[in-house]
Amino acid sequence: MNAAAISAHIEPIRHEYAEGRSLILPALKYAQTEKGHLTREDIEAVAEATGFSAAYVESVASFYDRLYLQPTGQRVVSVCVTLSCMLRGSDELMERICDRAGVSHHGGTSEDGMITVQEAQCLGYCDHAPAVQVDAEQTRGPLTLDDADALVDELRTSPRPDELWR
Amino acid sequence: MPIRNVVYRQREAGQVLTDLSDYRRAGGYEALRTALTEMDRDETVYAFVRSGLRGRGGAGFPMGRKASFIPKDSVLPAYVVCNADESEPGTFKDRELMETNPFQLLEGITLAGYAIGAVRGYIYIRGEYEHQARILDAAIAQARTAGFLGQGVAGSGFDFDITLYRGAGAYICGEETALLESLEGKRGQPRLKPPFPAVAGLYASPTLINNVETLSALPAIIEHGADWYASMGTEKSTGTKLFSISGHVMKPGNYEIVLHDTTLRELVYDIAGGFRPGREFAAAWVGGSSVNVLGPESLDTPLDYESMAEAGSSLGSAGCIVMDDSGSIVRATLRLAQFYRHESCGKCTPCREGTLWLERILQRIVDGEGRMEDLELIESLAGRMVGRVLCALADTGVLPVTSAVRRFRDDFVHAIENGGVPRPEPMMEVPVGG
Repeated sequence: MNAAAISAHIEPIRHEYAEGRSLILPALKYAQTEKGHLTREDIEAVAEATGFSAAYVESVASFYDRLYLQPTGQRVVSVCVTLSCMLRGSDELMERICDRAGVSHHGGTSEDGMITVQEAQCLGYCDHAPAVQVDAEQTRGPLTLDDADALVDELRTSPRPDELWR
Repeated sequence: MPIRNVVYRQREAGQVLTDLSDYRRAGGYEALRTALTEMDRDETVYAFVRSGLRGRGGAGFPMGRKASFIPKDSVLPAYVVCNADESEPGTFKDRELMETNPFQLLEGITLAGYAIGAVRGYIYIRGEYEHQARILDAAIAQARTAGFLGQGVAGSGFDFDITLYRGAGAYICGEETALLESLEGKRGQPRLKPPFPAVAGLYASPTLINNVETLSALPAIIEHGADWYASMGTEKSTGTKLFSISGHVMKPGNYEIVLHDTTLRELVYDIAGGFRPGREFAAAWVGGSSVNVLGPESLDTPLDYESMAEAGSSLGSAGCIVMDDSGSIVRATLRLAQFYRHESCGKCTPCREGTLWLERILQRIVDGEGRMEDLELIESLAGRMVGRVLCALADTGVLPVTSAVRRFRDDFVHAIENGGVPRPEPMMEVPVGG
């Protein structure tokens, strides 16, 4: 994403913060919606739009799990594996989703580049365990193993959203 | 059923209150109007103090006292920060509040802002709650249009607005000073305290930080009175508390109960529907996972701050994770150790290294490569973490591990002597709600 598009997103909210540094995280999140991850060019564009150095912006980005500095699949599936979900079968669910997506049981990106599967820490959806999240937008659960197959198949064939909020 | 929907006003109203007109019909914004027209700032803070409301995020610090720490003579503007980074394992009560009753939170933040003389409130919401963030965005826009935020709130002379700030995936940002760092556009790593946020918080300004549930309780306290609120519960545990219950129970969910009126047994069996036929209670992490685990002997403990402390644990966030006798305490403990290892921000060496080693030791016990001296090693390692770090992540993150090794020592010994612990059959394909 270019610096002008990022500026158009953050300038209207700049007055809400006493220090412009606070705009870095909103800028990074917005920049990521274009490709689903942040490239070197995205980091530089955020640096230009916010007025901080690219090195500093990258140091912020690298702290957060949901800012991706490496390419991801078109959709990211986060499988909650924390205790409440584990008791309800999240390990089995993780393995099934990985199998269907064709990645190792540790997660990864499918060969066709459509789906990234990753483990997630507690998603706050324990009353629907085992739960998964598609990007940061949809949280679903409880999922059966058959549901897991259907989810992967659905994501393979559904159109990519215009903006990828992760 | 001892359910009392005070903070869960949407349940009392029988509908989601995401539309401002519905919230107003349910009595919404009457408390703010009362405070702005009939109470001065000190009286508002004093009402919070008298209510006895304690911080619902986990630490349980008296909310009114915290508000009273905000200096009145500061040359810097004051802020209210709402901690909506709900990430404690097993805790999902704030999610429901934001999804179904967002205006009550906005009203609570505005009341807190009026009480301390703040110019702006910030809601720091975890990145994974994008759905809830959009609901709050829409609610803030409605509140601005209706004059409940902005210049001259509700026709008064009080100017106040609220900004929603999205996190990006980091449990540590629920720690208040890490949250402030993140909100300032930095890596979310905790600060050395003091100074405390009340004196030097966001942008080094006086800052009141409270959890979603705490702030959501303020409208009812102003509307019905501090004495009414304090009449529920005990002297040190007043009012109602939202409990999230999950794990092996038949009816996982959120339940609002008056503190002290319900025991853990009643919560697990009567409210949350107990277990599958043939299964029995084995263990519970009542206050989220950053607490000492409890066994069946603690089932008759009343659910309030002081009783939970007497039982050797903590009420914490009241995110109650329950395991029946089909589960493995050793594997459950490993899973929690993995959580803290993953979420350690890495700033303090005892936490960064200690959480890693706790996980490795527990992993080898699960894998059948454990040694009997590992149990003493866990104790010794935990002792070298606690009190040697900036924040509570390691201080409380070791609790589920050390308490499990002490309370369920036989299970760990059995694992070490018998080649580890096989993965138990999970409770799957049981519909939510039994």
